[in-house]
Amino acid sequence: MLVVLLVLPVANASTPQQHKDYPQGVSSISPGSDLWREVRQRDLPISGITQVQGVESGVLINADGDRWARFRIENPVRYAPIVLLVVVAILVLFYALRGKVGIEGGLSGRMVKRFTDYERVVHWTLALLFLFLALTGLILLLGRTLLIPLFGHQVFSLLASASKESHNLVGPIFLVSLIMMVVSFARRNIYEKGDLTWLLKGGGFIGKSHVSGGFFNMGEKSWYWMVILIGLAISISGLILVSPNFGQGRVIMAISHVVHVLGAVILIAVSLGHMYMGSIGTEGSIEAMKSGYVDINWVEAHHDRWAQQVKENDEVLTAEEFARLHGRIPESTDNATGQS
Amino acid sequence: MIEYLIKGPLWYFSLAVFCIGVLWQLARIIFAAAKTDLSVARGSASGGAWRNVFSRFVPHREIAPRIRLQVIGGYMFHLGLFALLFFAAPHVHFLENHLLGFGWTPMPHWAFIVAAQFAFFGLILLWLRRMLNAVSRLISTTDDHIAAILTFVVMLTGCLALGQGFHALNLLHLFTVELLMIYFPFSCLMHAFTFIPSRAFTGAWFGRRGIDA
Repeated sequence: MLVVLLVLPVANASTPQQHKDYPQGVSSISPGSDLWREVRQRDLPISGITQVQGVESGVLINADGDRWARFRIENPVRYAPIVLLVVVAILVLFYALRGKVGIEGGLSGRMVKRFTDYERVVHWTLALLFLFLALTGLILLLGRTLLIPLFGHQVFSLLASASKESHNLVGPIFLVSLIMMVVSFARRNIYEKGDLTWLLKGGGFIGKSHVSGGFFNMGEKSWYWMVILIGLAISISGLILVSPNFGQGRVIMAISHVVHVLGAVILIAVSLGHMYMGSIGTEGSIEAMKSGYVDINWVEAHHDRWAQQVKENDEVLTAEEFARLHGRIPESTDNATGQS
Repeated sequence: MIEYLIKGPLWYFSLAVFCIGVLWQLARIIFAAAKTDLSVARGSASGGAWRNVFSRFVPHREIAPRIRLQVIGGYMFHLGLFALLFFAAPHVHFLENHLLGFGWTPMPHWAFIVAAQFAFFGLILLWLRRMLNAVSRLISTTDDHIAAILTFVVMLTGCLALGQGFHALNLLHLFTVELLMIYFPFSCLMHAFTFIPSRAFTGAWFGRRGIDA
């Protein structure tokens, strides 16, 4: 129970000396309401003295809380679904107009190793955790306005409880996988000469000329640093929110909430583009994170400088060598050796 | 009705299948007809058994760098799950009230959360590695995948029910646990009971033949 000894000017306002015109003993229906209104609305500092030890325990009523709640409802809750729907609409429109970005000459079947098993495990760990956190986070952010009308209060309260608990538990694992991502990929994502050209040509989407790229192109590098930097901001703000007992006050919590929500919405929106480009948007891309290998024609189309390196180092596998590596023996070899 | 089913008949059925199934599987292994080894012993069988039981906790130096992910993920998952299963407060109370009649001091809530995070992270790493490595994927059976997914689902429903405020979430967790208990004796999950005897058997065989492995 909060025990606060506030030195309030309103206390004096209610003394008989200042209300000589009023007869003694007249009471209002709710005498407390005037007091609390004064506490909330006066311009003086609202922190008092209390025996309770704790951050902001002297604050009887946090008037900023209302402003924060209004901000949350009027901005992130209102605009987040609009932003996400606009991104989805753009991707659908882009696919309808442009279709899948193909490779000139098609896939050759000759493969080049792009990612190790460990790198792909790190990628998919981060991706799975991100998707889970995005889903549970959106339920918490938008559930009150979007899900209650659909499922009612009872189902939403159950969903919200499940989402909150699992979101808080999985969040710190996301931070660890983010650090693993930094260790595994940072060196190859440092910007280099030629990256700006890629950006100026819109990654090949503006005009029809080929855009030169290394192991990672400028778009991939920018997405990577976005994931790392915004991911760190989301993780740190999330840790501040999930551990309120480390001395942070309401203002820091409110700022953390804004950073957390804003960062998450940006990352979810851009990740939709990443998922599109990495799967149905570009021919041959998904193979990089499925098997760890990519077609040499895909490499030449999107990463020509890296293609030159792998050819010089004789790192291109034939279709048969690739099939053997993955336990898929080509039919011609089966017949020749008599294997079943 | 559903609550009665999950907390009543299904719980007792799954418990019976688990206990009888595990005992039957262990008995099958113990009483399996083994050929008498007529060779002259070159070393101590019991020494080899003990050595193998403990030495296999650490990977061989030659292969350690190549299986670092599996070792780290494996320890994270198994130690995390062990701590969760036997020292998480809700589990200790459940075991005390529904099974054993006595309890012990559970771990604090923060340790419970850390253990759950270790178990989750370890399982995700291991399962992804199984799916993404060409050789692991080839040698993995349907049973391996069902066991991993079922374990993950049990942990996930437990995680969803962490708030302890909704009876439906607790029931969902208990239901998935019951499914796991029914599946357990007939799957690769039996390694929880067989990994020590298996190591001891192999170690004894090696020890008797004087193989230093």
